[in-house]
Amino acid sequence: MIDRIQFLIAEGFLAMRRNGWMTFAAITTVAVALFLIGGLSYIYVQLREGTGKLTGVFEMRASVVEETPPAKISAIAKEIREVPGVKAAYHIPRDKAWQKYLQEHPEHREYAELENPYPDMFKIVLTDVGKAESVAGAVKAIDGIKRDEVKYLSDVAELFTDLQAIVSWLGMVIGGILFITAGVLIYNAIRLTVISRRLEIRIMQLVGASFLTVRIPFYIEGIVQGLLGGVIATFVLYACQLGLEMRLPQFFAEVKLPPFPWMAFLMLLPLLGAGYGFLCSMVAVRTPLRYR
Amino acid sequence: MSTPYISYEKVEVRYSDLVFGVRDVTLSIPRGEFVFFVGRTGTGKSTLLKLLTHEVRPTAGKVILHGKDISQLPDWGVPALRREMGIVPQDFALLPRKRVWENVAYAMRAVGHSRRDVRKKVPEILEQVRIGHRADAYPHELSGGEQQRVAIARALINNPPLLLADEPTGNLDFEHSWEIMELLKELSTKGTTILVASHDMMVVERMGKRIVTLDAGRVQSDVKPGAEA
Repeated sequence: MIDRIQFLIAEGFLAMRRNGWMTFAAITTVAVALFLIGGLSYIYVQLREGTGKLTGVFEMRASVVEETPPAKISAIAKEIREVPGVKAAYHIPRDKAWQKYLQEHPEHREYAELENPYPDMFKIVLTDVGKAESVAGAVKAIDGIKRDEVKYLSDVAELFTDLQAIVSWLGMVIGGILFITAGVLIYNAIRLTVISRRLEIRIMQLVGASFLTVRIPFYIEGIVQGLLGGVIATFVLYACQLGLEMRLPQFFAEVKLPPFPWMAFLMLLPLLGAGYGFLCSMVAVRTPLRYR
Repeated sequence: MSTPYISYEKVEVRYSDLVFGVRDVTLSIPRGEFVFFVGRTGTGKSTLLKLLTHEVRPTAGKVILHGKDISQLPDWGVPALRREMGIVPQDFALLPRKRVWENVAYAMRAVGHSRRDVRKKVPEILEQVRIGHRADAYPHELSGGEQQRVAIARALINNPPLLLADEPTGNLDFEHSWEIMELLKELSTKGTTILVASHDMMVVERMGKRIVTLDAGRVQSDVKPGAEA
């Protein structure tokens, strides 16, 4: 069995050596495609996580009309929680809000003499920053909520939503185009190998080698091309992260990048590349390796 | 009467409305027989061999090998069928960058023989076709006859009961052609059924074996050894 595997692997690598430059082109294109897809996905995830960490972006405040009885406030809370896009809603009684303000601002101790300016409020936590606008609209429509006192960081929310959309769009379009190009290159590299190895293929078919014996070397070629592309993409991404880690503090001292998810990338990108390479090689050898 | 090893039953191969490979061919070949298919180019000699290797499928009739109808054999059955026969192509089909023994070893590895098996059997097969002394030579260092011997050696790796040779002497002079025929005759005496497509009438007639003559895809004559044409 090991003997057999050795033969097939040796045949696969021989095939790649025969078309060195084509193999190189296929591997580098897969690497660039996976670098873009992987990199943009990484930025997308970081943006999502970063958005979540920004205080207030996922939060909204809604003021209750003065003199609303506690029973009505409970009913409003229930209504808010039922709005799609709302993760949680917390009632902040006006007394508590006022006390909190005075505690946090001891320099305004003299204000304690004044009448509590705070209304009863709701702190609303959103599931998705992109839904802020629709949630705000729905909350404003609830009876007992002051229409002009539903507040959230609309500009920041919009900016992050737009950024996420751009990044995912770029990932899909540019990464997709490059991924297709990489597939065509793998396909061509394997077709060229089939041509350059037509005598070996003919001999195999003359002596009755099994379908898999004839095909596996080409599958190996596709898998290795995709796998190497994935590994290269992971290392280039890591290099980019290192570069950013070194340069970023010079411009934004307070910004710290999260640690590079090595394992996730080393598992995912090469696996994706290998799977894609296998698929392309299967398509490439379907017709030319038919037994004649 | 025993069942023939190979039977062509009213076989027709039609490439288009006007072009036929063979027409209405009926032949029986017993095990161990040495048969020549002769005729001019395009008369269907190679087609009769290709029907057995399943490179060509009949459009009508049946091809029976060892009691089994192989006319409609599915694609997945072809490798196993090929392992039951040895095929010697006209152009030798030798790997130019591999030595003689490597050419045979490569084919053996392709059909699943282990390295140990290859080390043991390759010298035996090369000796069987009397090319052992050139085992380390590259194909371009060999004469046409020697190259053909290597191709025959490769065809013997599965120890086949049937050997098909398409114009095995097509590229050889008379002396080398005769050497190859002697070798095939020797294999035939060991019980291998041998079918040879050839247009080299001088060599064919001197062999004194069964001769099936084809013309325009039809069997024109079928002369068995010792019989008059």
